[in-house]
This record gives sequence, structure tokens and C-alpha cells, in this order.
Amino acid sequence: MSTDKDNDWVRLISADGYSFLVRRHVACRSGTLKNMLSMESSFSEAVSNTCTMKDERGAVVERLCEYLQFKAIYDNGSLKKEELPDFTERLAPEVALELLMAADYYEC
Amino acid sequence: MSRRNNVRGPTSALTEFLRESGITPTTIARRATTQAQVQNQPDVGPSNTNADQDEVAEPSRMDEDAEDYASDNLDEHEEEQSAPKKRKLTKAAEAKLKAKEKQKAKRKVGADDDNDYEEEDPYNALSKMWKGDLPKPPVGSFEECVRCNKQFTVTKYTLPANPPPGYLCHMCAKASGADPFKKPAVPRKRKPATDKRSVVSFEERRFPSLASMCIQVISKYIDDVEALGDIGSINMDELAKSLARNRSLTPHNAQLFYDIRNTRLTMYDATNLDPPALSTLASLNPNLTHLRLDYCGRMDDEVIEAWSTSLPNLKRVELLGPFLVRAPAWQTFFKSHPALEGFLIVQSPRFDLECMRVLAESCTGLRELRLEEIGQMSDSFLEHVESLAGHLTHLALSRPGIPEALSDQALIDLMAAVGPSLTHLDLSGNINVTDAFLFRGLKLHTQRLSSLALKNTPELTDAGVAEFFDTWADAAQNAGYTSVPRLTSIDLSRNHLLSSDALTALLRHSGTSLTNININGWKAVSQESLKSIADFAPDLRKLDMSWCREADDWVVQALIEKCERIEEVKAWGCQRLTERCPRKRNVNIYGVEAQ
Repeated sequence: MSTDKDNDWVRLISADGYSFLVRRHVACRSGTLKNMLSMESSFSEAVSNTCTMKDERGAVVERLCEYLQFKAIYDNGSLKKEELPDFTERLAPEVALELLMAADYYEC
Repeated sequence: MSRRNNVRGPTSALTEFLRESGITPTTIARRATTQAQVQNQPDVGPSNTNADQDEVAEPSRMDEDAEDYASDNLDEHEEEQSAPKKRKLTKAAEAKLKAKEKQKAKRKVGADDDNDYEEEDPYNALSKMWKGDLPKPPVGSFEECVRCNKQFTVTKYTLPANPPPGYLCHMCAKASGADPFKKPAVPRKRKPATDKRSVVSFEERRFPSLASMCIQVISKYIDDVEALGDIGSINMDELAKSLARNRSLTPHNAQLFYDIRNTRLTMYDATNLDPPALSTLASLNPNLTHLRLDYCGRMDDEVIEAWSTSLPNLKRVELLGPFLVRAPAWQTFFKSHPALEGFLIVQSPRFDLECMRVLAESCTGLRELRLEEIGQMSDSFLEHVESLAGHLTHLALSRPGIPEALSDQALIDLMAAVGPSLTHLDLSGNINVTDAFLFRGLKLHTQRLSSLALKNTPELTDAGVAEFFDTWADAAQNAGYTSVPRLTSIDLSRNHLLSSDALTALLRHSGTSLTNININGWKAVSQESLKSIADFAPDLRKLDMSWCREADDWVVQALIEKCERIEEVKAWGCQRLTERCPRKRNVNIYGVEAQ
């Protein structure tokens, strides 16, 4: 049952209207999104499986999703630090500042 | 002995260069030997005794040197002791030796490339180099014994002469006391150096956070402003907070916040900014009027002196932890900034009475003064604070180095002087503050006070505080003040004696204006009075009712229902709160244990 729940899709909507579909267990790599989507609460996010990120542009949300996916794949404790692929290569400096604040807000 | 392995330790650039030029410790040593002998020779003629002494002295010193290096080969001692005797043999023998040496040296230059692979480990390499010059000739070849000059066949057991160079025939080797059949000493088992040096005492196994990676990228492109995109659209203050939360503000990326047009600058964590960086901060933001630095512990005299000249417009400075700054430097700073309106520091053991005097004399327009956790705080400070009467609005003299430093009477006198203009007062941690201070200090003299903090002032009593709030409004009217001071923020935390009466009186007096209430640690306050908070203070935003034992779900329920703007409720240690504690969006309830 729980695995079914983990594998369903949730929608992240950026301020400029882009939608991103990610697996629930991926989105839950962010502390804030995890709370928003928590089944125990009755937040509208949890009910509709949709999070509106009203402060972030599409480009930022895209990177955020990429990172969450990256974390979901590699953060299982089996890989050593040296073996991790370098994610910073995928971070364009143009979005780094915004992404930093988004990362701070979404706790990831 | 397999000395010709290809292992080589790290060498410096100079060693590398010298080696390429054919200069190795071995060649140098040999040159030193020959030169010493050449120098000694002319002396030999005229005076025999001298010569003898020299001759004896010289080689023995050499041997000592050799011994020092060959600390691994302690068993070769006896042989060396006999060496001087042998050296003195004959001039002819000596000349012969030298010739041989030269010859070998010539050969050596050629063989050098192979030979210098000896140095596996710089530590024991020297001893080997001093012991034998050349690789042992192959087994089966002929060699001339350096002692008896007879030709012999080199075997596995052939020993090098000591002192070098050359080899000894079997007979001479035996005669010299060394055992040719002795098995080479098992090299002491030493752990490989690398194992010893990389001691892993702590391994960070944290997955890199997105924030930390963004900071890396930002730091990398810090000098390329355009690459970072349109910075103007970004809330720099939020960015500063993000950097501070990761403690990653460095002299390098701090430049992101620097601008010649800046008038305000706030750094939330300046731990990594060293004195030169803090001086740079001032010279790159010369127009600052408001500066706040948290955790500026590395700030020292040099920095504050730089600020004295490079920040001419500074009006308000707020520092957390400038404990390295000495008194004379503070004084220079005050003298150079007579227009200072706000001086707020926390934690300084060096800020003394003289600093306070200069501050009050130089900065006569001071409106905000915070001297929190000042080690040398005393009643005499207050006399100088009094001279700021009339315009001082914000005063914090909390948590002095000695809790008893400020007496009740001195504080009452202070209020008489500065009270009328004050809007914010913080005297937390002054354990001499009593009910009398409330009656004769606050009640009589304050007219505009809106924010009061009296944390940890254990002399205050429930009845005293209750009476103070009950009579404050009347007292103000009787005194003819135009308006009655109403508090928006009150912090009376850690005063365990205060209870329901004080809370009720407070709510009746200031309830409608209160936005922040901190009654942390009022252990006996009743559930009824806690519930009345919601009725009396509809504008409440933040409430800390930790360790109020009677707080329960109903209290939280009332707050959430009746206080529309409530944002934060702290309820640490409230055992009666259950997992059914009501919640609401945008209201943070901290400290509920049952969940």
C-alpha cells in the first residue's frame, strides 16, 4: 500500500504556470514538500497532490525537481562521496542565486 | 640487498633540479671527503703532531656524521671504531684510495640515473646513501679488495667496506669483525607512512544539499556578475539569510552584497570574515549608514579603526560579539562618528566605563543604545547613559557581566532621566530589579514605552506586577501625560513567581495592543488566565507559554480561533497538550511533545 502511494505522481506548479510531475517519494526528499504533501494533514496540497510554488520560476522548479530526483537515486548511503556524479555541473550560474533561496525554503 | 627498486619518495623542486644536474647527497658527501683530505694534506709536512691530530680528528668526525645517519645499522659500530687507525696507514694507500674514488665518481655520474632510485623514503634513504656508494657488482665478477688489494670473486656474501667505497674480500670482511653470513637485518616493520598520516577521525557522510551546491556555484562565479544573472530582482536580504544558515558567507562571496551605493548592510553570520575582509567591507561600501553584523567575533582593533575612517556616514551599528575590540579603539571610533544614532552591541568584556563616557560625550544624538552582556557594566555607566536623556528611545542594558551590577536605586534614577522618551526598554538579567523599580521607575517616568523586557528578574512578585499594571494607566493620567503607555511587546519570561494575577492585570492594561507575549516559565499561571489571553489580545502574533503547566489544548484552541493574526505559539514543556492539539495553516506551534 505504502509503495503504491510513494510511486504515485504529484504535480509541482511554478509561478509562471509550468507543471512538473514527479513521483511522490521524489518530492518528499524536500522537507517542506513532504510536510505539504503529508497524508496526516488536510492541506489542499495533500488532497489534490498538487503543490503551487508561487515564488519560483519554471527554470528554478525544473532544477529543483532534477536535484530531488538525483537525491532520490543516489542518497541511499551505499555510494561514497567520490563516486557521486557531480551535480554542480548541472547548475547554471544564472539560476544559482534563486535556486539557493528555493533550496533553503524547500529544505533540500 | 635490493636497493634498485623504482620506489622514490617525494622530493622538493630543488632536489629534483640538483638530481637532474647530477648532484645528489652521495656526490656531495664524496666531494666533502676528498676536499677535507686535500686540505689536510699540506699541513701534514711541517708538523707531524698537528697532522696526526687533524687526521685523527677529521675522519672520526666524519664517522660520527655517518653514524648519525646510519642509525638503523647500530651493529656496525666496532668496525667504525677501527677506521681511524686504518686511515692513518700510509700516504700511498690514501692516494690510491683517492684515485679510486675519483674513478668511481666518474663512473658514478653515468650510473647516477639508476642509483638515485635508492631514496625510497626520505627518512631512511640517507643512511643507505652513506653506507654504500655503488650498486654491488654482479655476483661472479671480479673485484679488488680495498683493504688487501687482492682480487676476489664477488659472491652473495661479499660485504662493502666500511667506510666506503669499495668491497672487502671474504678474509678481510671476516677480519673486520662483520659476519658475512649474517642474514640482513629484517627491516623493522613500520606501517606505511600513508596509513599513519591519514587518520580518519570523522567522516562526513552527508549527502550534499542543493543549497550547498548552489553556494559552490555562486562562489565559483562570484567575480563574474553577469553570469549570475539579474541580481537586482533578488531579495538580497533573503539571500544573506540563506548563506548565513549554511554558515557559508566567506570573504570571497561576501562581495555579492557589496556595492558603493549600499546604505544598509546586514550580515547574519560573519564568522568566516577575518579582519582584512571586514576592513574591505568598509572600503567597498563607503556610504553605509546602517550596518549590522552577527557573529563578528573576529573583528578587532584594526577593523574598527578602519571603520573610523572609511565609513563616515555610519549612523547605526549593530554588532553581535565584537569581543576582541579594545577600549581605545572603541573610543577612536566614537570620536570619529559624532553623528552616531544607534550603537548596539552584545558581548564585550573590554567595553569599559571610559568607552561609555566617550560614547555619551561624542555621540550626543544617540537614540538607540544596547549594551548587552557587557562584562564591566556597573552603576557608574548609568550616569553617562543619563546624559543621553531626551532623545534615547531604545535602551537595553541586559545581562550584565555581574547580575547584581546595576542597583535598583540607580535604575530608578536612570528612568527619571531617560524614561519619558523611551519606547523600548530591556533590563533582563538584572537581578536587583524589584517591584519598587516598577512603581518608582517605570510607572512614574515612562510615557511612551511600548516594548518591555524583564527576563529573569526574580525579585519581581506576582502581586507587585499585578498592581503595577492595574495602576499604570491611572498614574499616567494623574501625572498629566497625554497618552497612556500601552505595550505591544512584553517579555517577562523566567520569572517563576509571576502568575495569574500578573497576567490578568497585564492583559487588562495592554491587551488590545499586545502582539508579542512571552510568559515562558510562569509555572503556576492558571488555565483560566491563559485562556483569557485570546479574549484580551486579539492582535496577538507570537506567544511563548512554555513551561506554563496548565496550558492545554483548549488554550491553543482559543488562540487559534480568536487571534486572527497569530503566527507562532511556543509550548515547550506543556505536558497537558495532546496530539489532538488543534492546528491551523500558517500557525507554527512548537514544542508539543505528544505527537
